[in-house]
Amino acid sequence: MFLTRLVRAARPLKRTDDVFRRVENEATIVLGQRKLFQRLVPGAMHALIFWGFLVLFPTILMAGIGAIDRDWSFPWLGRQGWYMAMVDVFIVAVLVGIAAAVWIRKVVRPRRFDGSHLGEADLILFMIALVVLTLLGWHAARIAAGLNEWPAHWSFLSNAVSHLVGSGASARERILVWAHVGVILTFLCYLPYSKHLHIATAAINVYFSRTRRPGRLEPLRFDVPEAELRFGAGTIRDLTWKEMVDSFSCTECGRCQDVCPAYATGKSLSPKLVIMGIRDQVFAEGPNLLAGGELTPIAGNGVPEDMIWDCVTCGACVHECPVSIEHIDHIVDLRRDLVMVQSSFPAEAESMLRDVERVGNPWGKPQGDRESWAEGLGVRVVAEGEPAPEILYWVGCAAAYDERARVAAESTVKLLQKAGVDFAILGARESCTGDPARRMGNEYVFQAYAEQNVATLNETGVTKIVASCPHCLNSLGNEYPDFGGRYEVVHHTQLLAELLRDGKLEPAKSETEITYHDSCYLARHNDVAAEPRELVAAVGKPVEMEKHGKNTFCCGAGGAHMWMEERGSPINEERVRQAAETGAETLAVACPFCTVMLDDGVRASGKQLRVVDVSTLLLEGVSDT
Amino acid sequence: MTLVFLEGVDDELSRQAVTLAESLGGDVRAVTVDGPFAPAAWAAAIVDAAGGDDIVGPGSDRGNEVLAHVAAQLDLPFAANVSEVRGDQLTRIRWGGTLLEEARLHADRKVLTAAPFAFVASVDSTQAQVLAPNLDGAVAVVDHIAPDTGGKVSLADAKVVVSGGRGVGSAEGFAILEDLAALLDAAVGCSRVVTSAGWRPHSDQVGQTGTKVSPDLYIACGISGATQHIAGCKGAKALLAINADREATIFAHADYAVIGDLHEIVPAIAAELRKVKGS
Amino acid sequence: MRILVCVKRVPITGGRMVLTADAQAIETKHLGFTISPHEECGVEEAVRIVESAGGEVVVLTLGPEEAAEQIRDCMAIGADRGIHLVSSEEWDAQATAGAIADAIRGEEPFDLIVFGNESADAGGYQVGIRVAYALGLPVVTGLKGLTVDGGRARCEQEVPGGRDVYDVALPAVVTVKEGLNLPRYPSVPAKLRAKSKPLDARPAERPASRLEKLRLVVPEGSRKQAEILGEGPGAAPRVVEVMQQLGVA
Repeated sequence: MFLTRLVRAARPLKRTDDVFRRVENEATIVLGQRKLFQRLVPGAMHALIFWGFLVLFPTILMAGIGAIDRDWSFPWLGRQGWYMAMVDVFIVAVLVGIAAAVWIRKVVRPRRFDGSHLGEADLILFMIALVVLTLLGWHAARIAAGLNEWPAHWSFLSNAVSHLVGSGASARERILVWAHVGVILTFLCYLPYSKHLHIATAAINVYFSRTRRPGRLEPLRFDVPEAELRFGAGTIRDLTWKEMVDSFSCTECGRCQDVCPAYATGKSLSPKLVIMGIRDQVFAEGPNLLAGGELTPIAGNGVPEDMIWDCVTCGACVHECPVSIEHIDHIVDLRRDLVMVQSSFPAEAESMLRDVERVGNPWGKPQGDRESWAEGLGVRVVAEGEPAPEILYWVGCAAAYDERARVAAESTVKLLQKAGVDFAILGARESCTGDPARRMGNEYVFQAYAEQNVATLNETGVTKIVASCPHCLNSLGNEYPDFGGRYEVVHHTQLLAELLRDGKLEPAKSETEITYHDSCYLARHNDVAAEPRELVAAVGKPVEMEKHGKNTFCCGAGGAHMWMEERGSPINEERVRQAAETGAETLAVACPFCTVMLDDGVRASGKQLRVVDVSTLLLEGVSDT
Repeated sequence: MTLVFLEGVDDELSRQAVTLAESLGGDVRAVTVDGPFAPAAWAAAIVDAAGGDDIVGPGSDRGNEVLAHVAAQLDLPFAANVSEVRGDQLTRIRWGGTLLEEARLHADRKVLTAAPFAFVASVDSTQAQVLAPNLDGAVAVVDHIAPDTGGKVSLADAKVVVSGGRGVGSAEGFAILEDLAALLDAAVGCSRVVTSAGWRPHSDQVGQTGTKVSPDLYIACGISGATQHIAGCKGAKALLAINADREATIFAHADYAVIGDLHEIVPAIAAELRKVKGS
Repeated sequence: MRILVCVKRVPITGGRMVLTADAQAIETKHLGFTISPHEECGVEEAVRIVESAGGEVVVLTLGPEEAAEQIRDCMAIGADRGIHLVSSEEWDAQATAGAIADAIRGEEPFDLIVFGNESADAGGYQVGIRVAYALGLPVVTGLKGLTVDGGRARCEQEVPGGRDVYDVALPAVVTVKEGLNLPRYPSVPAKLRAKSKPLDARPAERPASRLEKLRLVVPEGSRKQAEILGEGPGAAPRVVEVMQQLGVA
């Protein structure tokens, strides 16, 4: 089949590990419709139709064979009254679901459908309704013609309708079974050409999605023969099979578009349109791909270049997607080709890339200055040859070079010293983890730094690391294992929360209302949301924003956007607006990028908010006692 | 005896070179060269005129070029941008002036250029002999293109330069700098980061590999202070640095400092100037 | 067109000059390295010329073993071949020019030989000119514009008040300045290909130095104590006062 041939022609990807969790995902996400239920009403609507589809599945076979052999009945199941009762219940459930769907699409008309093919959706809903109605009609006619192999009174609805069948029931039974089969066959033919294709691919897509370490990007290999080299996604020939199946699974529901911070602030990026664009290009050029012919680039055709650069890699789309599409992989792969092969990327990011590559940090400041922030604080610097501390504090470039981000590092070391933790920093031997380069698509520079840092860390004998920056946390903990670096990596809020629980730090609590902003790379990509809240609750009165935890709204710095210009209205100002709405006067953060972005946002919007790291709040709390 | 090559009798850097020549001791005579610029031919004329004397010139681009030709023709070592001479030892600048080299000259004749602003311009009115070079078959200037500045103050000549770095944030961010520059009749400059990002053209770049400026006041906004950049504005009589980071390196090279967000400070200065001018 | 571009490995110094204990060199322990921006533009220009007119770009450097990194970078921009004169010592400009001229004489003749106007570190302003004399070639310096056509080069040299134009016959030596072009960001396939392009490394023996470096010194007064006029927009009145004192407002 065309689709399987496409998938088999695609680039390889290893997703066969962690079987237990994959099966668990199938159970919860597919069977349990867990991600769909992240939005209650649409989730219920779909669940009814989906579960209906599952329960009604055997009736397709019953109809298919029953159409040819009138007296054939499904062994055992076809005679179970309770099963036919369930069938009737779920026919109603499906119809209720469709009614809900029609109401959502025609009355509520949510913005997430902007850009989706609405006509196609209407047709699909209509056909589903027709499927269950013809099924109902057939069962009713079968009862009326006395052909039911099951006790009729069980299937209460079909039974009731059977009274409407009238004379000529046998003939009508045949007509209805063929109508039913006809609708299903038509639907099956239409399936591969519509978004309803997802019913074939979604379960597969969910199975093969990431099971853990959502923040880890798939590495590229540069040490392979030229024919196997892959520099991201230039044409559809470069897509991995998972990216292909992703594109086949999109239902155009638009939930990803709804939660995308770039889309919400007027930029052209819609994760939905990115996947749809890739899908359309795969279908259009698929025959060419299989025939070994010429292909056109995806960037600028299926996916406009603006969209590719607008992304902040926050992961809200991936978190929201009911069929486990991994949009970030697509966007980063597209960026990889643009950056590494075409050398085509926003000009203002070129200095950052050159600085990371040549100087060792995106600020372009001398590596030798990495220790200056710690001068006078009595922090041990592990020189070459010296033994590793119990826990290494990975400072990160932001804290070393940015005056606002520095404050959190100063607070953290003072707290660690107060609690008597044996820690040290690498100082000038610390280099950029490479995160901004990798998120921009420069996998080559990233790997050079990953290898360098892993060598330094392994030589020093580091086993446990605490990082203040969630981007460092993500790279060190989730991505460095691919390069031989296996360390226990925690965020500074996790370590501080542990110290708090152990009674090593005893802050005073105040009445200040504090709203905590979850960093995307902390809450979504690394599942750390509880510990920062423990710290906030210990020093003040926490008040939550609507979009918090895994539903957090980005500060706008991710995806290397800290170094790129932003079109449209700024994401950081939108988040500041959301924070101000809570009424709190303190906006607590746990990430140096969030610190700078949200502080910029407060200054630009003139709101009365103090942007401060949780470590600083904690320090202020213990200093008062 | 020392021969000084002057680009022009009133040229500032050339008059500074006279001071260097005088510091070598002995008599000093000055020459200029007439006609279209032809480096090898001009150098030959200078070599002829010099006889066996030491030869000194200004540390401008042209001065360095001509004296390098002179040294090549005489097969002598050439020390460019010298800031001090003590017998056969000298000090010259490296890295655009942010580092000094002490060196010993192994030659019986000196060929030197004076590092810009390392010497005070000689006050003596300079009589210079005008040389006429032999231009037969020489590589010479055949044409001249005047720049299209659109009436703006040229960076190299401006008395005040308002310069922006990464801290300005975007091409549009330079609007406030241009506004301030207009009030001061100043030129707008920028650092290398800004030209790499495409926010300003290379012709605005101040730095070791850009334009070297020597204004009365250089205002560095959101510039961190990399040596590349410092090398370009060292000639400034006064440097005012505006930066949000009080640890920024630029402050070590500045005479005056304002700590804070340039997006607030620069317009405030402009507003204050308007107030003062209006009254 | 056969073009040779000469480059020099220099450290990226950042904001401060820190010297080694013996004051003979800059402390480079945590510094990255590059070639001067002038030279990068030179390599880019050579590659562009050969891309349109055909030919070969050769990159040459005189430097320590690690300078091979810079040659590979130039190959990633598009240079075809590299010549590495290996020496861990510091050479003065005159000796450098001599070694380069010798190396060039051992090659097939070049149509164009490109240098940066001055090196980022020593800033001697003379290597290109001396090589031209050694090879008997015309030389034009400080170029911001270069057009090569029909065996001649039209050269634009930046001067105060505009640009001077020269027209020289090839073969010739030129020295160029940053601003000549916007160097490309090399692609990763180009970087990978650069790893296997031919690089001829040979040891170079440094002759006695006629301008002998004795030591390096960080200049006095390069660490000033800036007078803080204030913080934030409230400093504006004080700033204007200073401007009036300086006579600019």
